[in-house]
Amino acid sequence: MNRDVARAAAQWLALLESGGATERDHAALQHWRDSHPQHEQTWQRAQTLRQRFSEVPQALAMASLDRPQPGRRAVLKRALGVAALVPAAWLISRQLPIEAWRADLHTATGERKRMPLADGASLQLNTATAVDVDLAQRRISLVDGELALNVPGTAAMTVHTRYGELRVSQAEVCVRQLGAGCLVSVLKGTVQVRDLSGQSATLQGGQQAPLKTAGLGAWAPFDALQLGWRDGVLTAQNQRLGDFLRELERYRPGVLRWDSSLETLRVTGSFRLDDTDRILNLLASTLGFDVQARTRYWVTLTPRVSAA
Amino acid sequence: MNDAVVPTHVPELTLSSLYRDHRSWLESWLRRRLGNAWDAADLSQDTFLRVLASAQPIAQMQEPRAYLVTVGKRLLVNFHQRRSLEQAYLNALATLPEACVPSPEQRWLVLETLQALDELLDGLPVLVRRAFLWSQLEGLGYREIAERLGVCERTVKRYMVQAYEHCLLVEL
Repeated sequence: MNRDVARAAAQWLALLESGGATERDHAALQHWRDSHPQHEQTWQRAQTLRQRFSEVPQALAMASLDRPQPGRRAVLKRALGVAALVPAAWLISRQLPIEAWRADLHTATGERKRMPLADGASLQLNTATAVDVDLAQRRISLVDGELALNVPGTAAMTVHTRYGELRVSQAEVCVRQLGAGCLVSVLKGTVQVRDLSGQSATLQGGQQAPLKTAGLGAWAPFDALQLGWRDGVLTAQNQRLGDFLRELERYRPGVLRWDSSLETLRVTGSFRLDDTDRILNLLASTLGFDVQARTRYWVTLTPRVSAA
Repeated sequence: MNDAVVPTHVPELTLSSLYRDHRSWLESWLRRRLGNAWDAADLSQDTFLRVLASAQPIAQMQEPRAYLVTVGKRLLVNFHQRRSLEQAYLNALATLPEACVPSPEQRWLVLETLQALDELLDGLPVLVRRAFLWSQLEGLGYREIAERLGVCERTVKRYMVQAYEHCLLVEL
């Protein structure tokens, strides 16, 4: 469209709306519209535009379209940065109509979140986790990462994973989905698991089983200390340092590398996940290795060179 | 085949080779920014659709990934704008008196219209946008708008010209 014609039409519209248009102005406008088909076409388009605004419910339209604007640069910055977590308040707000209770939630690496849901249920997300919550359907989809769900009431919630779904009521469960499978750990109550082929099975409190494309594997008892992340704690009992570090890596942005000779050292203890640098330094001093940090995001662990 | 006739050259880039070689890369790029795989998959599809529809011949693309990222960034910004509108809309719905809440089907239709209007207004300065909305949605006169904004009526009129011009040029 021609910018000059758009400008002219805009000026006519504003003149009319301002209430300052005279008889002569109206005649001049009519003349303008008649003088070129494109003028009339643009005028008609402007009327359609006004029509579109007049058709939407006023209060809703005003509140939505006149929302605080972060500005284009801020939007771009947010769009390009690693996405931030939707404020928990968004979930807690009980005022929303139930079908509006949908949200994508995620945690960054090293971040953990707890969110109350309806009916006393609660959801916790471990580091680097993405879920899609649909409370109208009482459904949580685990896209990636690890979650803990506690549903004290009888109304069931379902957890969807890439390898099947879980039905949780009057129960507490942890689901970890990393790489090629899920690990389902039932802390309390009974959880029904349905695999991709539609086979159902139940897991009781204290049982843990892998859920993969092939179905639910054999269960084994597990130590609740494994799930200490829910309280912000990482616990090891005579664990190989290599295994411990691979677990710790999930909570650290950047690169963590270690000399292969450290792999088989043994770790025992409980560590606060809030400060993983501190964990490394603590281990370094008790197990006797060096932490070489080129930057915060590039850390290498090496055997200690004995002091000269 | 006669090698003397066909000059040797780098295999020509086609949409299918572009898609095959860069889709999963683009998806993980988007995923890091969106934090979830589904939206990333959707946006990556959209990106390829845009590339398909764009005037730039794929065969002549020098830096396919740079180009995909440019298109992808634009879609990301739109995506976030739609999200923020959606959230404002849901919040507004929640505060409406029961009797004024539109039916569930209506709700999505209205949201769709609002999204179109939101895109239409995108890029206008905040005050211009607000003045225009007051006029279009609430039917306020220019004098009243001028009082609310604390500017003179001529300024309001200038805002309106700017907004109308913008909308007429965008809406094609």
